[in-house]
Amino acid sequence: MATAWIPFLEGRYSPTLDMWPIEAKEFNRIYKFYENLREGKFTTTKCQKCGRVAYPPRVICPECYSDELEWIELPKKGKVIVVVEKWGGVPICYEPPLIDAWIDLGKDSPVRHILSRMINCPPESLKEGDEVQLAVFDVPAHPIELKKETIKAERVFFAFEPVKK
Amino acid sequence: MAGRRACIVGGGMCKWGVREASYIDMVQEAAKACLEDVPGLKPTNIDGLLFSSTFVGRRSVQANTAPVVAERLGLKPTSICARVDVLCAGGSTGILLAKGLVESGMADVVMVVGCEKLYTPERWQVQYDEIAAIDHDWDAPQGIGPPPLWFAMIAKEHMKHYGTKREQLGMVSVINYGYGYTNPKGHFQRKLTMEDVLNATEIAAPLGLYDCCPLTDGSAAVIIASEEKAKELSDRPLVYIRGGAQVSLHSVSANWPGEHLGDWPHLRLAAKKAYANAKISPKDVDVAQVHDCFSISEIVEVEELGFCKKGEGGLFVESGQTKLGGAIPTNTDGGLLSCGHPFGATGIRQAIEILKQLQGRATNQVNGAAIGITHNLSGSCVEHTIVIYGREPRK
Repeated sequence: MATAWIPFLEGRYSPTLDMWPIEAKEFNRIYKFYENLREGKFTTTKCQKCGRVAYPPRVICPECYSDELEWIELPKKGKVIVVVEKWGGVPICYEPPLIDAWIDLGKDSPVRHILSRMINCPPESLKEGDEVQLAVFDVPAHPIELKKETIKAERVFFAFEPVKK
Repeated sequence: MAGRRACIVGGGMCKWGVREASYIDMVQEAAKACLEDVPGLKPTNIDGLLFSSTFVGRRSVQANTAPVVAERLGLKPTSICARVDVLCAGGSTGILLAKGLVESGMADVVMVVGCEKLYTPERWQVQYDEIAAIDHDWDAPQGIGPPPLWFAMIAKEHMKHYGTKREQLGMVSVINYGYGYTNPKGHFQRKLTMEDVLNATEIAAPLGLYDCCPLTDGSAAVIIASEEKAKELSDRPLVYIRGGAQVSLHSVSANWPGEHLGDWPHLRLAAKKAYANAKISPKDVDVAQVHDCFSISEIVEVEELGFCKKGEGGLFVESGQTKLGGAIPTNTDGGLLSCGHPFGATGIRQAIEILKQLQGRATNQVNGAAIGITHNLSGSCVEHTIVIYGREPRK
């Protein structure tokens, strides 16, 4: 009979093997990004002192180290610069093919490029110059132990998808 | 009067591949091979240890690894005993840090040993854990932890902007596997034809199986010592660590520093700084070890390291310039493509090959090699590390 047990073999949660961010406000000061995402907004932080827009969002400005930051919206549409599909060696969490694109958010965007997984996208359908848009989806929740209870932290994340022609 | 100078004295590695061994087993095998290369050096004469590994804390569940390694190797460090994690460049980083420690007078004889045990009891974790190798909260959920997707994009962009051809990528694999065929310690000992490369399983077009380095278990170790100690320890020609540089300009892919993905200004900057630091120019390089994690990587690297003009990396390789007898024989022990890539050990393997080349005892010897260079990129090309070695010290 076993005299000791291994938590994750009994279904206990460990962030070590979690590919998604720990988004909850109890663990993350930029939780607003994920709240905005839930409302369909793609956002980041802008420094109120020097005006520098930084992506990903953060708690200090990387230019002047001010912590007076505001949330601004980024474009939700862009154009594909290059797209690739991966069939072999895809991590267990995705169904092959894994499709990713390097996206141009436009010359007026303070963040020019974004790398994104493509969803709702049939294999071999996307090409350079195609228009794509932000797509928000649910990802698995995880438990958080608070003082008297364990809550379930719901999560969302983003990818991009083709704009229907 | 010149200050203290650091030399690389000797090195060795265990057999690399899918190993039936733990990380600490492989570290012992590599240390044994290393000390066999420096007869007369006893573990107790080594005063510093730098251990390079990224995944040992994750796949073997061992934090604060350096004392474990020191104890198992019979070392009793009195100058430094620490672990270094710079993913693919951890080994080279350990060598640069050892150089600094030796030249500052803090250390005399330092062992730099790197190791990764990448294969886990359930194979799914081998690919899944790669997610931890890049900016976790932003790039990992987009799927580029396992890097072929990212490097396939780089290849497509390089082809678009410079006209690089699929067969030129393939030539990198054919040449490097050709070198690796003669290296019994590497992961693979087989020759490839262009047909093998072009007909291989597609991983992420245009990259096929042989355009990608394998995941490999392995360990390698070197001894870095002061010039004075190096003379005591070995009768072989001295090999100096002339200089180096390490550059990081971004982490999240959205902050890529180049004009496009085939443009690597962070490597250009690292090269410029390293050449200035070592007081050489690219034309002085006789032999190179560059980070061929993918075939396309080597093509971009020979350009940004100044071995050829920007955009002509494909032609450089295709015309045989990386072969023996070419302008700069490159990855002469097989590189990452054929030897495999246990991240923290790779820079140390590269250093061992350059050491042998500069001492005239390499298997694929470049005649009269006097200056050698190693290069590593880390993760999704977010950091570049260069070490320059020479038969003569920096004047």
